[in-house]
Amino acid sequence: MRLLIVEDEPDLLAGLAKALREEDYAVDTAEDGEDGLFKATEARYDALILDVMLPGIDGWKVLEKIRAHKNEEIRKTPVLMLTARDRTADRVRGLDTGADDYLVKPFDLPELLARIRALIRRSAGIANPAIQIGDLSIDLRAREVRRGKENIPLTAREYSLLEFLVTRQGEVVTRTTLYDHLFDENESSFSNLLDVHVSNLRKKLGADFITTRRGHGYCIEKA
Amino acid sequence: MIFRSIKWSLQLWHGIILLLVLAGFGYTAFELQRTRELRRVDQELQDRLALIFTPRPRPAGEGRRPGLGERADELIGPGPGRREGNFPSEEFGTNQNRRPLRARFGERMRDLRLPEELPPNFGAPDLADESGIYHVIWRREQRMRSSDAPEDLERPKTGDAVGPRTRGLYREYVRFTPRGDVIVVGRSIAHELAEFRKLSLLLLGTGAGILALGLVGGWFVASRAMRPIESISSTALKIASGDLSQRIPQGETESELGRVVSVLNSTFARLESAFTQQLRFTTDVSHELRTPVAVIVSQTQLALGRERPAAEYRQTLEACQRAAQRMRGLIESLMQLARLDGGQEHFERKWFDLARVAHDALELIEPLAHERGLKLHTELTTAQTQGDAERISQVIVNLLTNAIHYTPKGAITVVTGVENNFAVVRVNDTGIGIPPADLPRIFDRFYRVEKSRSREKGGSGLGLAISKAIVTAHSGSIEAVSEVSRGTTVTVRLPITG
Repeated sequence: MRLLIVEDEPDLLAGLAKALREEDYAVDTAEDGEDGLFKATEARYDALILDVMLPGIDGWKVLEKIRAHKNEEIRKTPVLMLTARDRTADRVRGLDTGADDYLVKPFDLPELLARIRALIRRSAGIANPAIQIGDLSIDLRAREVRRGKENIPLTAREYSLLEFLVTRQGEVVTRTTLYDHLFDENESSFSNLLDVHVSNLRKKLGADFITTRRGHGYCIEKA
Repeated sequence: MIFRSIKWSLQLWHGIILLLVLAGFGYTAFELQRTRELRRVDQELQDRLALIFTPRPRPAGEGRRPGLGERADELIGPGPGRREGNFPSEEFGTNQNRRPLRARFGERMRDLRLPEELPPNFGAPDLADESGIYHVIWRREQRMRSSDAPEDLERPKTGDAVGPRTRGLYREYVRFTPRGDVIVVGRSIAHELAEFRKLSLLLLGTGAGILALGLVGGWFVASRAMRPIESISSTALKIASGDLSQRIPQGETESELGRVVSVLNSTFARLESAFTQQLRFTTDVSHELRTPVAVIVSQTQLALGRERPAAEYRQTLEACQRAAQRMRGLIESLMQLARLDGGQEHFERKWFDLARVAHDALELIEPLAHERGLKLHTELTTAQTQGDAERISQVIVNLLTNAIHYTPKGAITVVTGVENNFAVVRVNDTGIGIPPADLPRIFDRFYRVEKSRSREKGGSGLGLAISKAIVTAHSGSIEAVSEVSRGTTVTVRLPITG
């Protein structure tokens, strides 16, 4: 899952980015509205964390432009607004402008992480954080995969790949999309890196768990 | 409770006064009428009394018998032609003290002496007539009464009042003669009394009607007069309960209440603006504090989330320190502003040279200017002024820091000197300038031309507000002139005669 944080306070930005990376998200950052808008419309993100008060273009404008974008995937990016204003009017405005969630500074880190998880889950159309596929149970909340009672250890990248495919169960996901959502702007994407992760996942979860549609991409079939 | 309201007490007083006035008028009218009627009756009675003593012709066929009137004439002397003053000293006997009784006009009734021998049917039959007037005369044990005199009439005692009296349905005249004779002349006044009752009922009815009308009118007038007050109080109530945008509807501006309303409305407007300002200030303060707190909260929660190498803890602590410093700076600025607002900031009053203060300030910020590659020009002419050199230096440093922050390249010029009896310091830059729309508000607290542009510079948004407060406390002025992408000039003027 790939996220973009737009926040002008460097220490806050750094802290958030680090916290989210530790949760195995691919995280991009922007320090002002223009850069944020540029990145949000150039890359594909699973969620946006957007500060309201930004130099250049403020958070409201960025949100408006994202919601008015011609690309549907970009237009539908879930957005969590961060703000130092806690008046009801501001919250209402935030939600009315098209924010999916709203968090007032200072916030608790665990709450922010939970909201991001919920945001991504909702946008994938999954209400229940516990997913069952065959004999595999995947807990999106604890980031754990079990077969029966046995815990299957996955690396962060493997889990991210699994999570991304599971939340799009039945869809064919292209390699480009996977690269877009699993690696952040600073990682150079080697073409075989993805194959390595897919192959490792098949070893751990079963060879036919992920099917390859040649020329299209990967897919976890619906049961 | 309700009677404590002005409307009710107005109504009450109005009612009481109206009642008193009506009662006074009614009583006077009644008394006038009654007195007039009784006087008329009394006159009749007096006339009858006089008639008793007037000689009258004997009825035809009978021998002339001297009437009481004839005798009275010789007893009391005066005839119709005699007037007061013409009664020098005719004696009519003596009173109890053996003093001679003298007749004077008007007293003749009281002093009349009846004849020694009265005929048995003295006066009675021939005086009873249709006028309804009766008379009774007592001489010793004898009583002579006219036929229509009431039976229950008793001989008045010697001590009783003399003159007209009202006895039940009768009006009577009592006369005592020195000889001990008593004469009572009277008539029924039942008709008059009935008239009086009718009159009093009429007066009561009319009075009650007028009172009711007056009360209704008074209520109407009081309601009318109270309506603006009620609208004032209901608006004030709404304002007190938090809706500061309420205003009292303005009726006639010229009336006394109209003036009160306009004064109140302008007070409410000032209250609202002060309140809004206060609210905005509080929101701004909390906003400015939230971001550093967010840094501290998220950084520490991240660091404590798991075991980390020392270098990471160090980074966390550094971030927290920066956030704390920022909060400290903000709090110090707020405290200084509060002291300036409350007039608690202590200012020195010493003569100093503005050029020297500007020079010191320039030295302080010179490294920063050089770091940014900015040129510094100075034209420092001596300008003595009185005040707190340290605080003025704070103002100049603040202006210079702003100039450096908002000047990407070019030069900053500082000029001091004396202009029109003011010591002047002027800081000019070739920076990004301030849009005309923002220019009037740059001295407002927390006002930022661009919402977040000074955040990275560590500014709190209070520097110019503090500068202005300091300059104002010195009875000076501060103003800015600016052109976008050309630069800004800020001028501080301090009075020379402190």
